[in-house]
Amino acid sequence: MFGLELRDLTKAYGDHLAADHVSLSIPHGEFVCFLGPSGCGKTTVLRMIAGLETPTSGAILLNGKDITHQAASGRQFGMVFQSLALFPHLNVGENIAFALRLRGVDAGRRKERVAELLELVRLPGLQTRAISQLSGGQRQRVAIARALAQEPPVFLLDEPFSALDAKLREEMQNELRALQQRLKITTILVTHDQREAMTMADTIVVMGEGKIQQHGPPVSIYKRPANRFVADFIGASNLLPVQILDGQTVTYGATPLRVGATCGVGGAAATLAIRPEDVVITRTAGGGGNEVAGTLSQVRDMGAYVEFRVACEGLDILGVASPRDWIGASLGDHAHVRLPAESCQVLAR
Amino acid sequence: MSTAEPSLAAASVDQPAKPRWMLAGLLTGPALYILIMAIVPAFLMVQLSLAHREVGGLWSPGFELTQYRQLATPLFARIMGFSLLLALTGAVICVSLAFPAAYFITRMRRRAQVAWLVFLLGSLSLSEVLIVFAFQVLLSTSGTLAGALAAVGLLAPGGALYPNFPAVLTCLVYLLLPYVILFFYPALSQLDPEVEQAATTMGASRLSTFTRVVLPMMRGQILTGVLLVVIFTFGAYLTPLVLGRPPQWTIAIHINNAAMGAGNLPLAAAYAVAVVVFMVALLVLTRLLSRRREAAA
Repeated sequence: MFGLELRDLTKAYGDHLAADHVSLSIPHGEFVCFLGPSGCGKTTVLRMIAGLETPTSGAILLNGKDITHQAASGRQFGMVFQSLALFPHLNVGENIAFALRLRGVDAGRRKERVAELLELVRLPGLQTRAISQLSGGQRQRVAIARALAQEPPVFLLDEPFSALDAKLREEMQNELRALQQRLKITTILVTHDQREAMTMADTIVVMGEGKIQQHGPPVSIYKRPANRFVADFIGASNLLPVQILDGQTVTYGATPLRVGATCGVGGAAATLAIRPEDVVITRTAGGGGNEVAGTLSQVRDMGAYVEFRVACEGLDILGVASPRDWIGASLGDHAHVRLPAESCQVLAR
Repeated sequence: MSTAEPSLAAASVDQPAKPRWMLAGLLTGPALYILIMAIVPAFLMVQLSLAHREVGGLWSPGFELTQYRQLATPLFARIMGFSLLLALTGAVICVSLAFPAAYFITRMRRRAQVAWLVFLLGSLSLSEVLIVFAFQVLLSTSGTLAGALAAVGLLAPGGALYPNFPAVLTCLVYLLLPYVILFFYPALSQLDPEVEQAATTMGASRLSTFTRVVLPMMRGQILTGVLLVVIFTFGAYLTPLVLGRPPQWTIAIHINNAAMGAGNLPLAAAYAVAVVVFMVALLVLTRLLSRRREAAA
């Protein structure tokens, strides 16, 4: 296969499995985001790919060649670390040329390549600037340029934007995505920021408890979470305890609800997941079914949208409505929420 | 390091300003101590070096340069030259051994690090006198080391490994090594491991990561470590006295000989003033050189 392949990659620290049989194929030129909460094993997987951790078992293949036991220095994957790890004793140009110097590239070619890379990351002419004289965003760009200097087959980034303020982070995310698309380099980014993953990745790999919980295009992960963990972690979700009646129906309390497809057998306990933007609020029952009656327990007018909660069957159902569609109800008012069948997904509890 | 400056500056900005009287109160004690225990004796030493020497080990107040003229002799130049050679050689060996040792200790598991630190601190509890005389026994004709070397034919039977320059140097290195390792330990343990890992991902071997990244990043600490050993070794007294011959005696022994042996206190004071001036000049020169290097970088 042309690209990177992880086969049953496992890393154990004593009894703790930091990565648990992780298998994934990443085609050449794809941008993949490993997304998950702290301690889910995403950084461990990235470090194994880089060669900085030795897998307990499993294999890593690059373009079909097994590189599991190849040293990090031999792989020469470009990596941007969370702390950026720039060398403070070297200036910008020397930092970028570090890998080239190690490979014996002559001074003239090094100089050219440094200039090219500084152009690429929009820092032309900063070769002689000391690292301590750079702003946060400039350091970020230098770290990216340094990692790309050796034209790596795989580009790895370990939460590189976590220390930046929101505006600069978004700017850097856009720049990195544009750069990756231009260079068509296989890129793996580790993040706990779902917005970052959603906006940048071709494929999101959601990790939890050392395992891949789900992987696929961002929209499909958002729209069709594979399990309760993914539904809970990616975006906001209403997770309602239900009982399966048959292949098309579940009951929430005493209310039967039609769903797209169920899992499990009749009578089994399950979780119904529905995104807040799919919840429709009405003052009176519409008569079309799939409605739950309740009392408005919270209303927050955010300007661009209205966020509301309706207490139904002992749980709050969260929804959002555009200001145009808002019913104008107040706290304590009786209301109905409609849960469209095509937006309801039944997950194992 | 230059990278530490912004964070230090930021920290100082964030901290609430302490009242001036509180700072003044905190500084008064140390300032008085330095004044009484360092500046006053230094002043007295300069005064004594300019005093008139009387017979019988006495002196009377005066202002004469008689003793300083004795510093402009080949003998004094040879003594200072040897002291500097011993100090620099000792410093280079000590730092060359201590820096990698401290580096490897910081890369060990926490428990092993603690064991090493306890061992190093424990070794400091041994008295210098005890260590020097233990070395004397070890290197003497009847000593274990000399006996073993004689047995394999590397030393003439009945030969000793002291008194000589290597014996003095070896003992001084032994005495100073734990201090220098402990001096490097904090800075190396704070070195971001991602910096080394970054070098590795760029194709650097462990050796080139150490020589091209770790060593240059620690240049300031290494220089300070060298200066510490130089300052300590320059004033070494017991080790060269016991394990060396007169040509291996440092300036400290000659100061003692001038004061206690020849009864010439003004000369001893002039020697001491010369050592202080030399050390200050060395520190200033080092600072200027490192500043020039920083500016060039």
